[in-house]
Amino acid sequence: MEEELRVRLNEHQVSKVFPVKPKSTAKPVSESETPESRYWSSFKPHSVPNLVSSVSALAFSPVHPHSLAVAHSASVSLFSSLSLSSSRRFSFRDVVSSVCFRSDGALFAACDLSCTVQVFDIKERMALRTLRSHTAPVRFVKYPFQDKLHLLSGGDDGVVKYWDVAGSTVVSDLLGHKDYVRCGDCSPVSDSMFITGSYDHTVKVWDARVDKSKCIAEINHGLPVEDVVYLPSGGMIATAGGNSVKVWDLIGGGKMVCSMESHNKTVTSLCVGRMDSAETRLVSVALDGYMKVFDYGRAKVTYSMRFPAPLMSLCLSPDGSTRMIGASNGMVFAGKKKKKLSRDAGEKKSLSLWSVRGQVDETRRRALRPTYFRYFQRGQSEKPSQEDYLVKEKKGLKLTRHDKLLKKFRHKEALVSVLEEKKPANVVAVMEELVARRKLMKCVSNMEGSELGMLLGFLQRYCTMQRYSGFLMGLTKKVLETRAEDIKGKNEFKGLLRNLKREVNQEIRIQQSLLEIQGVIAPLMRIAGRS
Amino acid sequence: MIRGGRSYVTSPPSFSNDAKKLLVCTGNTVSVFSAATGLQITSLEGHTAPVTTLIVVPAASSPAQKILCYCWTASLDGTVRHWDFSGPELLKTIDAQLPIYSMVIPSLLSEPQVQIDKRRELSGKLVAYVSVEDTSVVKEGTKELRGHIRRFNLAKPRIPRGDTLKETEEPESIVISPSGEFFGIRHKCKIHIWDVPSGGGSRHAVSRKMTLHHSKFINAFAFHPTERIIAAGDVTGRVLIWRGFGNRKLALGNQKKKVRAMVDLDNAGVRGEDDAESCTTWHWHSAEVNVLNFSSDGAYLYTGGREGVLVVWQLDTGKKKFLPRIGSPLLYFMWSPDPTLSSVVCADNQIHLLKMPSMEILRTISGIKPPPSLPRMYEGLASTVAFDRSSGIAALCTENYCVQLYNLLNDRGISEIQVCERNHQPGDEITVVVTAVALSLDGSVMSTTEVKLPEDGIGGLVSLKFWVSEPHSKTFTLSTIVYEPHRDAGVSAIAFHPTRSMAVSTSFGGDFKIWVCNSDKNQADKDSSWTCHAVGSYKKKPMTAAAFSGDGTVLAVAVENVITLWNPDKNILLSVLGATLTPITKLCFAGTSEFLVAASHFPRPELSVWNASNLSLSWSYGLRIEAVTSAVDSSSFAVLALIPKSFRTDESKENIFRSRDGAILLFNGSDPKPVSIWTVMKAKGGSISFLEGDKSQLRLAYVNGSHEYVVFDPNSDESHERSAVDYDGLAGQEETGDAGYTSLYGQLPDYDKKRMEDAESLATPFVSSERPWETIFSGSTLNFPPLQKLCAEFFESLMEKRTAVVE
Repeated sequence: MEEELRVRLNEHQVSKVFPVKPKSTAKPVSESETPESRYWSSFKPHSVPNLVSSVSALAFSPVHPHSLAVAHSASVSLFSSLSLSSSRRFSFRDVVSSVCFRSDGALFAACDLSCTVQVFDIKERMALRTLRSHTAPVRFVKYPFQDKLHLLSGGDDGVVKYWDVAGSTVVSDLLGHKDYVRCGDCSPVSDSMFITGSYDHTVKVWDARVDKSKCIAEINHGLPVEDVVYLPSGGMIATAGGNSVKVWDLIGGGKMVCSMESHNKTVTSLCVGRMDSAETRLVSVALDGYMKVFDYGRAKVTYSMRFPAPLMSLCLSPDGSTRMIGASNGMVFAGKKKKKLSRDAGEKKSLSLWSVRGQVDETRRRALRPTYFRYFQRGQSEKPSQEDYLVKEKKGLKLTRHDKLLKKFRHKEALVSVLEEKKPANVVAVMEELVARRKLMKCVSNMEGSELGMLLGFLQRYCTMQRYSGFLMGLTKKVLETRAEDIKGKNEFKGLLRNLKREVNQEIRIQQSLLEIQGVIAPLMRIAGRS
Repeated sequence: MIRGGRSYVTSPPSFSNDAKKLLVCTGNTVSVFSAATGLQITSLEGHTAPVTTLIVVPAASSPAQKILCYCWTASLDGTVRHWDFSGPELLKTIDAQLPIYSMVIPSLLSEPQVQIDKRRELSGKLVAYVSVEDTSVVKEGTKELRGHIRRFNLAKPRIPRGDTLKETEEPESIVISPSGEFFGIRHKCKIHIWDVPSGGGSRHAVSRKMTLHHSKFINAFAFHPTERIIAAGDVTGRVLIWRGFGNRKLALGNQKKKVRAMVDLDNAGVRGEDDAESCTTWHWHSAEVNVLNFSSDGAYLYTGGREGVLVVWQLDTGKKKFLPRIGSPLLYFMWSPDPTLSSVVCADNQIHLLKMPSMEILRTISGIKPPPSLPRMYEGLASTVAFDRSSGIAALCTENYCVQLYNLLNDRGISEIQVCERNHQPGDEITVVVTAVALSLDGSVMSTTEVKLPEDGIGGLVSLKFWVSEPHSKTFTLSTIVYEPHRDAGVSAIAFHPTRSMAVSTSFGGDFKIWVCNSDKNQADKDSSWTCHAVGSYKKKPMTAAAFSGDGTVLAVAVENVITLWNPDKNILLSVLGATLTPITKLCFAGTSEFLVAASHFPRPELSVWNASNLSLSWSYGLRIEAVTSAVDSSSFAVLALIPKSFRTDESKENIFRSRDGAILLFNGSDPKPVSIWTVMKAKGGSISFLEGDKSQLRLAYVNGSHEYVVFDPNSDESHERSAVDYDGLAGQEETGDAGYTSLYGQLPDYDKKRMEDAESLATPFVSSERPWETIFSGSTLNFPPLQKLCAEFFESLMEKRTAVVE
């Protein structure tokens, strides 16, 4: 304590310089910059040409380079993931409702409202197989996780079909849903487990190995289910229906783990996103135009972003570098991350190059002679080694121009120089400092024509701004009073004064209408307080 | 009992011969500080009145003698003492019988120490020139010449009345030349200079005198160490340099050497018949010059004054160097035997040690800073002192927009927190005021309010700041700034919740706001910020005071003359306590009990105690209350009351009160009889607080209007006895009027209950209606306790009783 005190007393310095600082503004209570939000906002928007109508489905190929299939109206477009430009287009008879890549990325399946499911090679225009058995529009089609031979589909007839693709035959009809089947997903851990969601509010879990075509578990979401997705562990699923997203534990007997109800309209699509830290998040989009990132471990919405259209579909690329969102008006909001890893590798390469050069330099440096210019710069860029004792140079306080002028008591020049900077917060701070020195009115009365014009321009622009108005309104009045003679005749001030008058009148109108609103609200508040 | 807060700046300090110690006059004692650490080493105690002069006996240049640690002191108690301050040990006391304001001993300077000792043994003479105040010769009606300059022989233990050289209206301080040849005083626009009779001075050797004139009042002057040069500073900021003074009148005595025996009438700048070759004027200072000192080799002149800038002039060329922004008027500048060290003394009770010649401030010996001067509108409303009850640290607002943390228990400044980022320039108009400081009960959070006064109605700004303590460095860092917390209305009071991080601020604009700290558990401490939790108002009336109850469940807010009780969490008005006669200015819950103490002083002072459980007035007194505090654990509380002037100046009591204008009364819960009473000095602007470091020991701290303080145990007999001793010891000094740091005087004997009742019954028949304290209580009788319990009579009875006891 004694030692410490001594150090403190020694540090005491009387002479200090305080630069003029603008008032600090209020910061949001919650931290705006979390690592989470930094990750999700780092997808840089990419423009993608507008598509014709609602983007009903999006799918990324599971293998590099992760090409993208976009289903819109009666066609599926293949996009390359690097340039995000359309490379191939497949036509259908009716509106395409769902699209899905096979695990090796060579084939994809798509279904449309004409009751068919078709399988394409990504390199060929014609369908390889056309699977016909559904009696109503097909709503979803899915390849099992690793299985290349089977397909799963469901439609408005309420039947879920398990297909053998090679023979174009139905292996089993899975019956049980009482309404349209809208969505489904295959388990990431088993090729024969899948879930389907339907408008009858239920999600059913199926097992292809069980013969009896009966579901092995059932979950009631409580609202028509729009989308279901397996979480990466395979033991949990997430369901979207109505405004809510719910997370269920399948292994634990279908108990609800948590639910997220921060969307305002129907949630249309779900996707599992993987962050840098290998944590996974549930990403959802809804018709209210919001994308929300839900941390189901902590049951908390960690990021939310608004788009200017109702959103229909969502997909994140498996390497986490691209985020695609399809909207109901045909817009595709694409986001891409900058590639960090590859650049790091590039830097390493260049570093190794440099080190070779460095050795060469070393041999050259030894031969430096006073005749060389570099001789006089030698050792200037030397870095301290670890055992060196560093003597730090005292860092001088950086003073801005108006601070230097204020320090020299050149008050008017300081005010003029800060007015030229066009930073209102700084101007007000300098004015407040001048008030504290009792010099502001003196400055105003000493101002010449053009400087006065600058001041009037500033006052006109900012005197009704809420943050500064308390100070600037009084000043404006004083300036007009004291410099009335100089302002009156001049043509150049006419426009400024007219604008100022208009601003003030507008502000008065706003205040009046606010008072009216307050008059309406006050009795209501009183009543609310009484009850 | 701990006393402290003495002024370090009443008279110039002095370095020891090895420059490792700094001797400072602190009231009745001389404190010795270490120049290396800035901490106090020891003190010389013995004088019974403030020490006015301190002369360290200079040593010859040989290193062996550098360790000599002798000094002379002179004091207002009329004694001159000789000390060995390494001991410390009192060697000799000489009684001069008159209060000494200044003293010089020329022979110490002119001759080496060894020779002096020898000669003193031989001739038994050591001549000193003193400035004394002689009140005995003053007659009524005549022009009073109380200040005398006299010659004393210090070799004798008791001094007869010495020769008087000069008489002035007030005692002046004597300045001596570093060579010991001349000494002089300033008197209005003149400087009187005498030369010292050489040869040790037989008793009858006459000192010759000369006078230099100027057109303005002279504030300070100094002699050049080797040449005949005098520098003087006047009230307008001019520095005058007279060269070659006294060539005619003070021609070197013994040698009879006529340097220049001519009469040059065209001596440049010299006024009239003055005996000097030339006079030059330097004008840089904008305000009066208080500090003038030549460097030891005579090449430079140090000047300083009210504007707080130390200027170094090169004597030959007039070139200047500055140490700006010291932030307080300079009072003295002292150089030390070590050429790299000097000290400058400021009016805000700080002694800065400077590293020469770069003039950096090495360290500061920091006394308690004097209270800030507030604009009139904030007088009485500002609460500029707050206490950390557990560690005994006081937070005091200072003039330079800082809050000084001062440890009351070991009388030492800890740190200073810049509340408002501005440099203070002494002498400028006050435009920014720190109006209030408050500390939370555990001392971890501090809150301050500052007001920027508007210019011509433009740009006034009130801001409220919350600071959190840094646990290791004992200072505070800014956590939150709230601009205009109550729109443009001023903040009238801040109070902290006793247990949680919650605070309330009340405003004259008619609302109060509850602030909570929203530090998230996950986040680091520095991220915590204070946000408004609730706003409340009562009939749009100005709110003047606030207090939390002991457990923090009830918030009491004074609204003019009623008290509103709120639930601070839910912001619900619980109830309203009936009206006092005048607006309430202070509120305090009496510890854990249900009693609420309210004080109001304008226009009619009142102290009232309310029972919060049955919402009724328990009792009240017509006392002007300056401060209220309550203990946390018990139900006792203490108030600092100002004693009405009419009561004090009553003839029968004059000898009891003397210059004491206040009293601390300790009450216990609902009992209207004070447990004990102490009378104090300078109570106006003072404040009190309980300090409870450990549970067993409850202490009461009192800081008076000029920031001197005392910490004592209100319950123990020991402190009573010690204070009684102090009372006796200090009784003599009070006539002198500026009794430095003394603030607390004897405790009244504890009366047992029976005696008290006797006193009361005795008191009642004495009461007659023309006594002023009677009329104070004329009001609605419903509001008052029974008449015989009213305070004034009670007081009076006590006082009567006490005189009886004393005599």
